Amino acid sequence: MSTLTIAGLRVEVAGKEVLKGFDLSMQSGEVHVIMGPNGSGKSTLAHALSGRPGYKVLDGSVKIDGVEILDLSPTERARHGLFLAMQHPMEVPGVRPIDLLLAAGADQHDLRERMTLEAQSVELRTEVLDRFVNVDLSGGERKRAEMVQLAILRPKFAMLDEIDSGLDVDALGAVARRLSLATSEWNCGVLAITHFRRLLQELTPTMIHVVTDGRVVATGGPELADVLERDGYEPFRPVNS
Amino acid sequence: MKIFADSALSFISERPDATERSRAWSIFETLGLPTTSDEVWRYAPLGDLDLDRFAIALVPSGGVDSAFARELRDRAGLVVRVVDGYYESSSSLPEGVTVEVATRVGSLSGETMLSRYESDTFAILNDALAPSTTVIRVANDVHVALPIVVLNTTSGAASFSRTQIILGRGSSATVVEYFEGGHNALVVPLSEYQIGDNASLQLVTYQRLDASAWHVARTTGFLHRDARLHQAVIGMGAHYNRSRNDAELLGTGSENELRTTFMGSDAQVHDLRTHQFHKAARTHSTLLSKGAVAGESRCVYTGLIEIEKGAKRTDARQTNHNLLLSPHAHADSVPNLDIRENDVMCAHASSVGPLDELQLWYLESRGVTRRDAQRLIIQGFFYEMLTTLPSDLAALVESDVTSALALLKVDE
Repeated sequence: MSTLTIAGLRVEVAGKEVLKGFDLSMQSGEVHVIMGPNGSGKSTLAHALSGRPGYKVLDGSVKIDGVEILDLSPTERARHGLFLAMQHPMEVPGVRPIDLLLAAGADQHDLRERMTLEAQSVELRTEVLDRFVNVDLSGGERKRAEMVQLAILRPKFAMLDEIDSGLDVDALGAVARRLSLATSEWNCGVLAITHFRRLLQELTPTMIHVVTDGRVVATGGPELADVLERDGYEPFRPVNS
Repeated sequence: MKIFADSALSFISERPDATERSRAWSIFETLGLPTTSDEVWRYAPLGDLDLDRFAIALVPSGGVDSAFARELRDRAGLVVRVVDGYYESSSSLPEGVTVEVATRVGSLSGETMLSRYESDTFAILNDALAPSTTVIRVANDVHVALPIVVLNTTSGAASFSRTQIILGRGSSATVVEYFEGGHNALVVPLSEYQIGDNASLQLVTYQRLDASAWHVARTTGFLHRDARLHQAVIGMGAHYNRSRNDAELLGTGSENELRTTFMGSDAQVHDLRTHQFHKAARTHSTLLSKGAVAGESRCVYTGLIEIEKGAKRTDARQTNHNLLLSPHAHADSVPNLDIRENDVMCAHASSVGPLDELQLWYLESRGVTRRDAQRLIIQGFFYEMLTTLPSDLAALVESDVTSALALLKVDE
């Protein structure tokens, strides 16, 4: 059983404080969903946790099983079990997915076969596995390719940044089912960032966190999604903004 | 002490064509070495070039083939061995192929060497000092199945090799001109290719000289009607690597593809020049040059596309991308166009920059170490350069280039 604890996290991007004291704690096997309006800091959280260049941590702590990961390089954070499935994963011309995964430390035993199975499970054309990482892929294909990497690398905690955008309903269902399976298969903790409720139809959340203006302003069970659906984010906005 | 001049004059005096050679030598003496105020040489570290460090090789001295050279030999249908510029031997000839060692031949352009290369000091030195010209001919309509490898090995002297490859109409061949050795040497090869009507030459110019060598090379292709010249130039070695690769598209429908790959480390200088000269209608040229410079190395790419009046529907493209792997490395890219015909397609693009931070972070965020992320991206950058190599050589060259790339140090 692993624990991810984010406490008082403040992050600045391009000279502007975007996360203003973010708190969240979760365990292996749980599904936590972060919902919030555009610009509330959801994606900033994911990028800051993965150590993206340009994201400056001003204060706070992020621990996996007691280890402060903010002190670690992006590589070491990944090797401590943190994975980010990106909204806009980068193209890496000339590099094949299998070579990326081998360099990332994937077990080479039956690797190609396992990649094929994982691609099929999220309805990704398997030809994509023989091309270069994300090159000439549609937005939806990139999301699914990220899922293949996630499933091979089996992180302790998977962050998914807007995984549902660019996916049609069928593909979204396949991705949600794959994530749901991951929570039991290797007890993966899932931290999903989304605008939409659709993802939650097949991926039952343990907790939902509503984020506005860089902080968690409400936390609750799956029923919170219904409140958001009915009332929008307006009731959750801080009074002073 | 005038070691270079003394050894050159003694070399020339023993040659049957000493008169012609002396004429070239005296032109060299008049011209002298170029200086960096000469535009064509402005990036060369000519201040460091002291010709008297080199004596002309009066006899070939040989050397042991590297493991890579042995691998190349194993894949060849014909091995032509040239040592210190001296033709030494050929393996048994495939049908339709001849190898001739010519004492004095003119340029394949039809001009004398002196009028063809009148302003090029090093080409004139080659005319004076190349022991002979190795002329490889492929007869009309002959398709040579296995690669022809011209294996140039060089000891620590000044050597001047000259090669001509002549493909008869409708023929095809793959040729590798390979250079190794050259510790503290001056290596000045000059090659010309004549590709007959509808003939096809796949050429790999592979320079793997010692890091102390001065290498000043020039190649020119003459392409006749519907001829194809696909040339890959790979420059890995030498302290100063000058590589000038020209093509004259003389015949309608002829096509030239040139891919130049190089990598620099320490204080290496790669000085690449190209001239794609379109003289006939419906001619195509595609040029892609990619390099990576690490340490304090430098590279310059200067390319000219020239399109003559009347060369209608010519399509010429020139692309140059450079990776900077150190803040102390430097790359220049100087594309030039000279177009005297309206009905043409012409494009050029170039870029110079470090490894992409976001690509690096993306790989790191999967658990790839920074060093491996750099290696993967650098290999990926060069990947397309290796995809068009002749298939029987691709794996060998790819693994050689990949291991050289793995040694490049990235300084941040």
